[in-house]
Amino acid sequence: MLALKNIRKSFNGTDVLKGISLKVNEGDVVTLIGPSGTGKTTLLRCVNFLEKPDEGEVQFSNFQLNYSHAKKKEILRLRRKSAMVFQQYHLFKNKTAIENVMEAQIVVQKKTKKEAYENSLELLNKVGLVEKKDYYPSQLSGGQQQRISIARALAIKPEILLFDEPTSALDPELVGEVLNVIDQIARTGATILLVTHEMSFAQSISTKVVFMDHGEIVEEGPPSQIFNHSNRLRTKEFLKHFTNNYQKTTSL
Amino acid sequence: MDIAYFFKILPHFISALPITLIVIFFSQLFGLLLSIAVTYIQIKSIKVLTPLAHLYISFVRSTPILLQLLLIYYGLPVLLSLFGININFWSKTAFSIVTLVLHNGGFLSEVLRPAYLAVEQGQHEAADSLGFTSFQKLRRIIIPQLLPIALPGLGNGLIYLIHDTSILFVIGVVDVMGVASNLVSSSYGTDQIEVYLAVAFVYWAVTYLSDKGVKRLEKITERYHLENGLKS
Ligand SMILES: Nc1ncnc2c1ncn2[C@@H]1O[C@H](COP(=O)(O)OP(=O)(O)O)[C@@H](O)[C@H]1O
Ligand SMILES: [Mg+2]
Repeated sequence: MLALKNIRKSFNGTDVLKGISLKVNEGDVVTLIGPSGTGKTTLLRCVNFLEKPDEGEVQFSNFQLNYSHAKKKEILRLRRKSAMVFQQYHLFKNKTAIENVMEAQIVVQKKTKKEAYENSLELLNKVGLVEKKDYYPSQLSGGQQQRISIARALAIKPEILLFDEPTSALDPELVGEVLNVIDQIARTGATILLVTHEMSFAQSISTKVVFMDHGEIVEEGPPSQIFNHSNRLRTKEFLKHFTNNYQKTTSL
Repeated sequence: MDIAYFFKILPHFISALPITLIVIFFSQLFGLLLSIAVTYIQIKSIKVLTPLAHLYISFVRSTPILLQLLLIYYGLPVLLSLFGININFWSKTAFSIVTLVLHNGGFLSEVLRPAYLAVEQGQHEAADSLGFTSFQKLRRIIIPQLLPIALPGLGNGLIYLIHDTSILFVIGVVDVMGVASNLVSSSYGTDQIEVYLAVAFVYWAVTYLSDKGVKRLEKITERYHLENGLKS
């Protein structure tokens, strides 16, 4: 379980997050949608302290942290409870696929090499890339790199998985393989906070959808409510813009 | 050109070689450590120390090494005596090492800093997000990636350092070059060519061997396949 309370963040005097409160229950898949520049990435980065919020609190099942006076130890603890899947994958370039998955298990969780290796094989199997285990990131396609990075995130058994537009950097034909992996993980009961522009995917996978605009949560609810029955003007405008775009590109 | 004389004096240089090698070893070792500290100060933008680091690097890079040697040899004892520290008993070799460490530290930090910055921010963030401590991140992820970038520059630094030892005879250090200068003055300048050719051979050999060592390290770090491969 994750609860964010009143998260505020500004960059150079511009308020990017204007007091966000958000709850993700265990096993939930919560999807953040909203226009570009709205603060979705920043919010996700605040959860594992890649960005330091100016104000706010975060709460896990047995851990709580006030961002305005967080100590080093607490930050490490917070980061070990969550794992980020980046838009640009950011696999460790000096490690092979399986070493990427093993790394945090050995370094952070102090598992033995053997144990980490076996775990990692299993995870690579889950994302369908066992046969690429000894490849370096530079030898893998974007879709493959992203699937490895998902395995790397799963490896630390985080309480919550954070996905920041995991398919936005991919060529269209590689999007499906990554979404399939995420879908499969969601089915195993993982707790997920996801940012995506893949609206139909969001609709099918989410237990809750959160629409953000200008650093605020405008509306949140089950996918059917947000996508089909929203009565908020800003939500409808955003989604209309989306389907219009979609129709435009498909009619070409 | 007297070949027999050339071979006769060669052992003199070999026996002075340990001094030269000691100077090179300690100057490289502590110079590298100093450059790491200077790089750290600059990257972390530590208050007060960062402008001092800039000043230091600028001075070291902009003044001749010979001048730096003379300033340290004559100036450092005076400076430290103001603080009640007496270093008059130091050997000339010690002053040489201090000079070369300071010189090398400034130069090598100009190799390390760009190499550190060349490692993508995303590599830091990936390690951070998984809960690595700063030290774990440096040791396991960042240093292995910056090494192949920095090694050619560090290797060049080592060659410059080896060559820079050839000025230490000016303050009276009896290293390879010191022996040469003594031989030349005792023979009233009649055998300069043989003497300096012999010195050249010694420097050549030392540089060749250290260069081989660096190349070997480069080979080891090459296996990371850091170059960009397939695109998304
Ligand atoms: N490190 C930063 N420095 C300055 N401004 C930033 C930084 N990161 C994000 N921003 C700004 O914050 C706003 C929100 O960005 P972001 O969280 O990336 O939005 P989204 O993910 O919703 O597109 C944008 O206006 C962006 O320019
Ligand atoms: Mg974003």
